[in-house]
Order: sequence, then structure tokens, then C-alpha cells
Amino acid sequence: MMLLDARDLTIGYGRTAIASGIDLAIEPGTVTCLLGPNGIGKTTLFKTLMGLIPSLAGTVRLDGEALAQLSRERIARHIAYVPQAHPAEFTYTVLDLVVMGRTAYLGTFGAPKQADYAAASDALEQLGIGALAERDSTRISGGQRQLALIARALAQQARIVVMDEPTASLDLANRILVLDTVKGLAARGLAVVLSTHEPEHAFLVADKVAILGRDRFVTGPATDVLTPAQLSSLYGVALEVETTPSGRHVVGPAAS
Amino acid sequence: MRTATVLLALAALLIAAALLAAGIGPYRIPPFAVLDALWQRLIGGPVQTTIDTVLFNIRLPRIVAAGFVGAALAAAGAAYQSLFRNPLVSPDILGVSTGAGLGAVVGILLGFPVAMIQLLGFAGGLATVIIVVTLARALRSSGDVLVLVLAGIVVGALAGAAISLVKVLADPYDQLPAITFWLLGSLSGVKAHDVAATVPVVLIGLAPLILLRWRIGVLSLGDDEARALGVEVGRLRAVVIAAATLVTASVVAISGVIGWVGLMVPHMARLLVGPRFDRLLPAAILLGAAFMIGVDTLARSAARIEIPLGVLTAVIGGPVFVWLLAYNRRKLLP
Amino acid sequence: MTTASRRRVLAALLGFVAAVTLSQTAPAVARTVTDSARRNVAVPDAITRVFAAGPPASTMLYALAPQDMIGWVRAPREAEKPYLLPATHALPELGRLTGRGDTLNLERLLAVKPEIIIDYGTINDTYRSLADRVQSQTGVPYLLIDGHFENTPTSLRLLADVLGVRERGEMLAKAAETILARVDKTIADIPAAKRPRIYLARGTEGLESGSKGSINTEIIERVGGINVVEGLREKGGIVRVSPEQVIAWAPDTIITLDRSFKDSVAQKPEWKAVPAVANGRVFLAPSLPYGFIDAPPSLNRFAGLIWLLHTLYPDRIDGNLRDDIRAFYKTFYQVEPNERELTTLLSGAGG
Repeated sequence: MMLLDARDLTIGYGRTAIASGIDLAIEPGTVTCLLGPNGIGKTTLFKTLMGLIPSLAGTVRLDGEALAQLSRERIARHIAYVPQAHPAEFTYTVLDLVVMGRTAYLGTFGAPKQADYAAASDALEQLGIGALAERDSTRISGGQRQLALIARALAQQARIVVMDEPTASLDLANRILVLDTVKGLAARGLAVVLSTHEPEHAFLVADKVAILGRDRFVTGPATDVLTPAQLSSLYGVALEVETTPSGRHVVGPAAS
Repeated sequence: MRTATVLLALAALLIAAALLAAGIGPYRIPPFAVLDALWQRLIGGPVQTTIDTVLFNIRLPRIVAAGFVGAALAAAGAAYQSLFRNPLVSPDILGVSTGAGLGAVVGILLGFPVAMIQLLGFAGGLATVIIVVTLARALRSSGDVLVLVLAGIVVGALAGAAISLVKVLADPYDQLPAITFWLLGSLSGVKAHDVAATVPVVLIGLAPLILLRWRIGVLSLGDDEARALGVEVGRLRAVVIAAATLVTASVVAISGVIGWVGLMVPHMARLLVGPRFDRLLPAAILLGAAFMIGVDTLARSAARIEIPLGVLTAVIGGPVFVWLLAYNRRKLLP
Repeated sequence: MTTASRRRVLAALLGFVAAVTLSQTAPAVARTVTDSARRNVAVPDAITRVFAAGPPASTMLYALAPQDMIGWVRAPREAEKPYLLPATHALPELGRLTGRGDTLNLERLLAVKPEIIIDYGTINDTYRSLADRVQSQTGVPYLLIDGHFENTPTSLRLLADVLGVRERGEMLAKAAETILARVDKTIADIPAAKRPRIYLARGTEGLESGSKGSINTEIIERVGGINVVEGLREKGGIVRVSPEQVIAWAPDTIITLDRSFKDSVAQKPEWKAVPAVANGRVFLAPSLPYGFIDAPPSLNRFAGLIWLLHTLYPDRIDGNLRDDIRAFYKTFYQVEPNERELTTLLSGAGG
């Protein structure tokens, strides 16, 4: 059963195509990692998958319906977006930030009610940051902010969560925390799609890996797709993959 | 909830300000007489004494007008601050005040009656924003608000240059003083029928802002995030611009150009109820109305002659703003 | 002819040619005059082309020597023409030179070949430096004449002397002095408590005024009126007031410059509470060809003095307003309006 299905997609802006021939199926309870060098179009692909920008060719279907036919609100109930954590211009509390995730359920003129605040608090608790609810969201750490944004996606009660480089600029502890959270979300039946620059993270959490290269789009299990040959040609530098005795994968420059 | 308490307090402040203002003025009316006259108007037939004339033909229209001017400017300022994701934005960012100024001073230059001057002011404000939006639409590649801001700066600068040209062409004895006073802002000539014409338009403009206040707040997260949360950003932006322009143009048409209110009152309101727009808007509206009533009362009673409103708001606004920044940096700026 | 006699003829011929040439090209600058700002300016002996720098100067020039006018600051409107000498009607519109920042292109100034420029108004360092600059840039003598109301007779004489119309200047100066004396005599024994309290209403709303000591209300105060508008400074300017303030001041007389204000004020409830409106004492000041009260601030305001005397003190003044105005126009403006034109003028048309 596919939640989100992209067929023969061409992505780009205006008349400029960035990549084409993309086929991607997202299934519930899975983690899909998207890798690719800087500027290749990962964000463009995400935005197309979420319906934020139109595709140049091909369609994206949500539960069988074409995204282009659906209203923003409808899409928001199914797909949640977790952007990279960035400081905001306004000093919203963490709870306020998270309760904004309920917008799609409020109707045009509505404001959040008791039930919405409950959902938001709940989401915070699930991620272990319930204590941050009344804190100023601009004065918490990057990792905490990233978790808050994930909590917002949870409050949105969407089945698909799209994350744009959620571990960028986070310290080690926070990276581990986020990756664990991602695995936990999938375990609960959500579909998580995230982009990352760390092939090792993909090895750790991904059920499916997709690489977006200059002239290719390849999907499959991590061990199949993230071969030294693929990785080297993707990033343009000689790389090798080592498996440690405990089963972890380490990616590094090829020994010369 | 705390917000409700604050809003109630602000409403009480507004009513108190209005009553106080009704009792202040160069023509001495003792407080008891003020209340008595108000009561008489409510229950019995009006008595045509001078007190009645001063209260109901001069002071009250002015107080009501001041309240709506303050409310409109504060609401527009708060909405734009959310829309442009910047707490330092004023309602004039798309040029509505400058455009209204141009329309009105052209009316003064051509010697039109006051009603026509007001109409030209209103039309000028609307036309300027339409030009800015059209220009931005023709220029932009993505839906970024930056292009709107730039277009607003350019068109606003052109309108400002045109105003300067009008000043050069105007008769220095007859027209230039009138132009100068208009550009500094004043409610001295406001009559009941001005109020009757303006209030409905302001209410029409405020309605969508109030009804959509939750979603307008979500806009402050950025276009992509807002869309992903279910907001039709393009449409909402158009509604906010239309509503803010409508309320601003209609009050500038009767009061002239008044700065600082739209920038400062939302900040003061933010201190009281926090940055969430659905709470900020009602607070800003009430606070703006009370503030403007206070300023206008000062304008007409601090000296024998009228002090222009724009001068007062700047003189009061500047130091208040600095104080706000100094003592409340944490709450105001991230 | 002998060589000697030939040389003598040649010398005589050369001398003749030289004399003729020199007399054509020698500058006609033959005298130095001192203007009101104590500037010594060299001017031609006989002057026939004068540029007036602004409306006040233009009024002075028209009164003293209309034949020397190069043009108008602003071309006369149709309604004004019956009250101006026909010979001046078709003179070109030149624009104004005074004020902060020159709005007139100096090349255009030179193109009309003025022999001198006269400026009538405030004498201060700003205007002194402006005069010096224009003079040195264009080479045209620039004279500053004091526009102070009380000094009008002196200024008339000074300007007449420069323009070579001493006789006319003396006549006008004496006429002005007579008017001033008449004002003083009429108001001499009116106690301060009985002086009229006056509000000058400018604009269609009537909410613009001149505060005490301003140039706009100067002549109102000169005829003994008390200007109810107290401004923020000693010497005031144009200010805005609220209707409530006017009610508080309670003037017994309102002088307005705007016809629509006069026509509509009696119906406006906020003005009905003002004694002047309640008693029907709202007067529309005439303004053809020039305003009687404040614009331009020049000797046209002497007509305003006469008009104010008749309007404010009808019991104390002898003579008839129409006769007095007719006489004024004949003396100063050199026109004789007929009965219909006089009525139009005095009814405040053109305001």
C-alpha cells in the first residue's frame, strides 16, 4: 500500500528541469533517506513531493489522488514538513510553535481549542521535551528546536513526515536523538522521508535509500544502493565503505 | 486566560480615554456637565446649547475618528509585520500613506473642496498599492515577499518625489501651508460625516484581518512552512494586503499622514500579550485606539493652536521605542 | 591737400568715430543707489526694463511704474483684468525669483534683458546673500526693498527715486501716509476693551489662521483689531486651529478670504456658537486684482486698511466706502472701475 507515489517525475522551476525520470514510492512505517551532493535538487524534489511547487512532468499521487487536485489543507493533513531548524523573527513559545501544526484542522476562521493544545502537549511529551512548552522558542538549543519542529509535525497528525536535513548543524548527542526519533516515528506507522549528507545515517535508519545524482535517480535498500562505486561517483571523490565487526557501516575516503 | 484579562483591561482603558478626552478642551466644560450632556443625548431630546455643540459636533466626532485611526494603523502594522516576517515594518511599507499623501496634495493644489481632497487621498493610497502589487507580480520569479518590499520602496519614493514637486508648484501663500499641515497629520477639521464615511470602511477592512487572525499568524513562519501547514499563502497575502490598504487609506484620507503608530503600537501590544497574531491583533486594535485618542487630546489642548499629530507621535514614539528596546529586549527581539 | 591738413582731417575723423562708438557701447551705469539692506548697487541712469522678483515686488512696480514692467510673476486672470491697466494685460508671465531656492532659471532671467531686479519683502541675511549671488552671477543689479508695512511710504520714495518717477512716488507715499493717519485718527479714542476681537479664517474650512504678529494679520492688528489667535511665538505665522478653540476665543468678527466659507458658515453648527457668526459679522475680504488682507504682502493692503475701517467702524468714519475705494484704485492702480465692477469687487468676488 503506497501513501505517496511519484511516477516519471520531472522536477525543476519554470522551464528549467533539474532532474527527470524519477520514480519514488513511499510506504507507511518506513524511513526513506535521500542523498545527493549540494545543489543537486534535493529540496526541489521534496517541495515537489509535498506539492509546494508543481512538477514539470509526471504526477505525484497521495493515496491515489493527484496532488495538484488537492487543497492545501487536505495535503497538510497527510503530509507534514519539518524544515531545518532556524531562528525565527518572533519569540513564540514552543507550545505556540507546535500548536500551529493544528492549522489544517481549524477551518478558515478557527483558532486552536482545548483539544488542539492537548495534541500539541502530547506531541511534546512523546519527544521528551514537554518541559520546554512555555520556553521562548528562540532561546533553546538547535537540537531542541529541531525536536520542536518534529513535534509540530506530530501534532499535525500527518502520516507522512518530510524532513529537510534534520541533523545538520546538530551536535552528536542531538543527532543521535533525532535519528532515534525518526526510527520511533516509523515504528509507529508513519512514513518518514529525510534528506541527509551522511551516508552513515542512511545505513543506520533507512529502509530505503534514494540517491539523486547528476544523471541518475536510484532507489533501493541501503546496502544495495550505497556501494563504494555509487558513492564515489555521486560525490565525485573516491570513497570506500567498511563494515565493522558489530555490523555498523563506515564511509570514508578510499585509502590511497 | 491571561490574554482575556489583558484585553478587558485594554477595553476599559479605551473607554476611560474616550470619556476623559470628552472632558478636555479649550472650551471649559466641567466633568459633571459632560456626563450630563451624554446622558441627556441618550435619553431625551438634544438641547442646543454651546456645550452640546462642542461635545457632539466637535469633540466626539474627533474622539471617534482618533480611535479608528489608531485602531486601523495598529492593525495594519501588526498584519504587515506578520506578513513580511519582520517586526520593524510599518503600514506604509507598500506606499499607501505616501500615495494617499500624493492624492490629497494634488487635490489641494487644484483647489478642490475638502470632500474631494479626502477622496483623492483615499484613491491615491489604493492606486499606489495596486501599482506596487502589479509591479511585484510582473517582476517576481518565486513568491518571495522581498520583491513586494522593493517595489514598495521604489513606488513610494516616486510618490514622495511627486509630492515634493507639488510643493514647488503650489502657491506659497495659499496652498503650501495647507499642504504642509496635511502631510503632518491633523484631526482638527473632522466632522461627524467624515466619521460616518470612514468607520464603515475601516470595519470592512478590519473584519477579514480579525476573522483570519490565526492563519495570518501562521504566515509569519515563511511561505513554505505556512503552505505545508495548510495555508493558501498567495490568497491570504492578497487578502491581508487588500484589508490593510483599505483601512490605512481610509483613515489617512481624513487624518493626513501619521507615522509611528503602525510600527510602535504592535510592539507595545506584543509586550502585553505576546507575539501570537491571534492575540496580538485585538490587543493592538484596542491599544492603538486608546493611544491615538490620547495623542489627539494632547494635540488639541496642549497649546492654543493645533500641534500636528505626526509630530506628536514621532516625539512620543521615538523615546518610548528606545525605552521598549532597552528594557524589554528579551521579549521583543530574538 | 597738404600732409598736415590731411593729418588734421584724419584726427578729426578718428575723434568723431571714437566719440560715436564710445557713446554707443559705453555702459549706461552712471549712478550708485543704496537699497534698504544698505547695499550700494550701481544702476543705469534711465531705467526702462525692471524685473520684479516676486508678487509683492510686482505690486509695487505696477503701482509706481507700470511702463517699466517686463512682465508679471503670474499672468493676470480674466477676473482681475478690469482692475489693471489695459496696457499691462498682455505682458508675459515670468515666474518668481525669490524664496528659498531659485525656481526661475537664471538664463531665462537674462533672456528678458532686465536692467534691474527689485525684490520687496523681509530684509535679512538670507535675502541679502541671495541678492548678492544673483547679482554677481548675472551682472544684473539686484535691489532689496524693505517690505515692512509701516515703512511703505519710505520704500515707495526709495524705489521711485531709483526708477526715476519721483513725482509719482511722492504722490503715492503721501497717499499712503494719509491713509495711515486716517487709521490712527479713527481708532485713537477707542478703549482697549472696545476693540474688535477678530479671527482671520483662511481656507474653505476656515481652520487656518495667522497668529498674533504674523504678516497675514498685520493690517488687521494695524487698524486696532485684536487677533484672537495666540501662537507659540512672538511673531507668528500660519497655524491650524480647532473649531472648539475658536468657540473658546469667541471673536466678535470674522474676516475670511474664502467665498465658500462665508456662504456656508452660518449653517455649520460648530460655527454657530461663535459670536461673530451668530451676529452675522462674517466679512469676505475683496481680492481683485490683489488681496486686501494678506496676499501678496505689499501695498495692496492699504486698500484693506480702508475697507477694514469702513467695515469695523462704520459709525466713526466719514465718507463712503465705494468712493474711497474708487479713489484708491485711481491713485494706485490707475484704473477707474465702473459701478458694476466696483460692486463685484466689494462683494468679494475672486476669493
